[in-house]
Amino acid sequence: MKYSIVAEFGELRICKAHGRTSGRLVLALFLAMISSPVVQAQQTEASPVSKKEAEETLLQRIVQLEARLKEVEAALAKTQPATASAAPATPAAPNEQKPAPQAEPAEQESMDLNRTLLRIRGFSDVNLGGSTLRGDPRSTTAFSLGQVNLFVTSDVSDKFKFLSEVVFEAGPDNVFGVDVERMLLTYSFNDYFNVSVGRYHTAIGFYNTAYHHSTWFQTTTGRPFLFAFEDQGGILPIHNVGASVTGKIPSGRLGLHYLAEVGNGRAYKTGEPVQNEVDESSHKAVNFGMFARPESIPGLQAGFSVYRDLLTPAAGPKIGETIAAVHAVYSGLNFEWLNEALLIRHAPEGTAQVFNTPGFYTQVSKRFGAYRPYFRYQYVNVAANEPLFSSVGLRHGPSAGLRYDMSEFVALKLQYDYTALRGDRAFHTVTLQTGFTF
Amino acid sequence: MSRLIIFCLIFVTGILLSSGLLAGLAPQSRGAAEDSLAIVVNRANPVENLSFSELRKIFLGEQAHWSNGRRITVVMLEPGKMERQVVLTQIYKMGEKDFTNHFLHGLFTGEIHAAPRTLGSSAEVLKFVLNVPGAIGYLKAPEVDESVKVVRVESRLPSEKDYTIRLHGKPAK
Repeated sequence: MKYSIVAEFGELRICKAHGRTSGRLVLALFLAMISSPVVQAQQTEASPVSKKEAEETLLQRIVQLEARLKEVEAALAKTQPATASAAPATPAAPNEQKPAPQAEPAEQESMDLNRTLLRIRGFSDVNLGGSTLRGDPRSTTAFSLGQVNLFVTSDVSDKFKFLSEVVFEAGPDNVFGVDVERMLLTYSFNDYFNVSVGRYHTAIGFYNTAYHHSTWFQTTTGRPFLFAFEDQGGILPIHNVGASVTGKIPSGRLGLHYLAEVGNGRAYKTGEPVQNEVDESSHKAVNFGMFARPESIPGLQAGFSVYRDLLTPAAGPKIGETIAAVHAVYSGLNFEWLNEALLIRHAPEGTAQVFNTPGFYTQVSKRFGAYRPYFRYQYVNVAANEPLFSSVGLRHGPSAGLRYDMSEFVALKLQYDYTALRGDRAFHTVTLQTGFTF
Repeated sequence: MSRLIIFCLIFVTGILLSSGLLAGLAPQSRGAAEDSLAIVVNRANPVENLSFSELRKIFLGEQAHWSNGRRITVVMLEPGKMERQVVLTQIYKMGEKDFTNHFLHGLFTGEIHAAPRTLGSSAEVLKFVLNVPGAIGYLKAPEVDESVKVVRVESRLPSEKDYTIRLHGKPAK
């Protein structure tokens, strides 16, 4: 206020110094003084009665507004309790404020009720096929329903993620059953450290963690026999219940990744091979692997894994199991070449015997527009006196087929398999499959 | 005298233009900026520069976290937009179908944490990136405002001559 008065008198002095004390100056000075807060304050002080009245009016208005505010708050609490409680948990609510640099919000791990939604995607297939394998209930020519896979994911929070595969599947008895094939809660600390707990596909080799329970993703009509599911005669511990740690290894353009798993392993005493609830022994299966995805060749992946468990069959001694796997795959947009080799080593305790089961497959395909012809050769050789999987024996042979992508989400595949067996006639299988996602 | 002053002004302006001091006003730079696709992040994001390889990994979902540990959220414009087509061609190096398949497969295996967020307009992208600290998106360079931060790609800004992501350019190597 003092500044304004001084400025105005200063202006007057300057004008006098120039000898221009004109009427315009006087008028300007007068207007400025009228509009200044000093004058306003003086005017207000000059009429204390009107000021008191104004204060009383304002106080009355404040009392009225407070009363109204209480009424509104009470009404909101009655009608929208859920909304009111959820509102504070919305850190990323959009706002219309003008753009301005933001302070980095504090890192929080709270469940956002507005964001935590289940996302469901389905995968399934319908098949028509038959084989010449004698004594197999699936050998007759038949239409068959494949797995109906409900893939459910949810962002529990920024760091926690949920993932599951719930599969409805008919067996040789034509009765549908339900399996939770995968169920994982993952905490992602960063790209180098992710921890998951639940039921997972054991990271042995490549195929088991690349395609899971969807035939639509797979080029062929099904998995290589080496990676067949346990309930379909497979020899690997495909599923496991436990915990895993995965992540990248700082390695520049080499693109190294690691994985480590610990779980219940596979059961051999009971009918259900996956030990979801109880374990036959306190010994835990462990698996460790590494693979590289070099930047210079996008689509290339090469790596290894080593799995170790102590099996407890219903009869006979405990068996030490070691599974060593190596893979080198190239999976580009148009060209695919998958190569995997395994060695399963079973060493019964208390004996000097060791049973080695080698197996491998190679698969190549090339896309021509919507068409993708493919070829696969696979080989598994289980010794006749192997304590656990002797019935599998030797089986090997080629497969050839054609995949036709009818639409973005529907694929039609026709595949022929020739499988040679040890001590038995080779058999042929033809399968026509419609695989899709929805 | 006045002619001399005008001559001096023209001379100095010419020198400034040729030396790049007024690059923002140069016709070539303005044209380059208009033809560029700017990569934008939240202003709180410490990242200033990305190599093309890093940018591709981020958009593919192969890199899921920023250096400060915050999760990355990629923002894509909806199918049909020219900017999206440019990003698919030059960064993803794939078509719509392969883009969908890539993220479906990545989510299915668990290797990709989240598919890109799809928005309908540049204004929505600006608003989203402003409000989500881990967001990264793209805009035509002239549409960028001060609410977001433009990231250098291979140490170059969209207004610079050798910037790689162009609306009418060839796919970057």
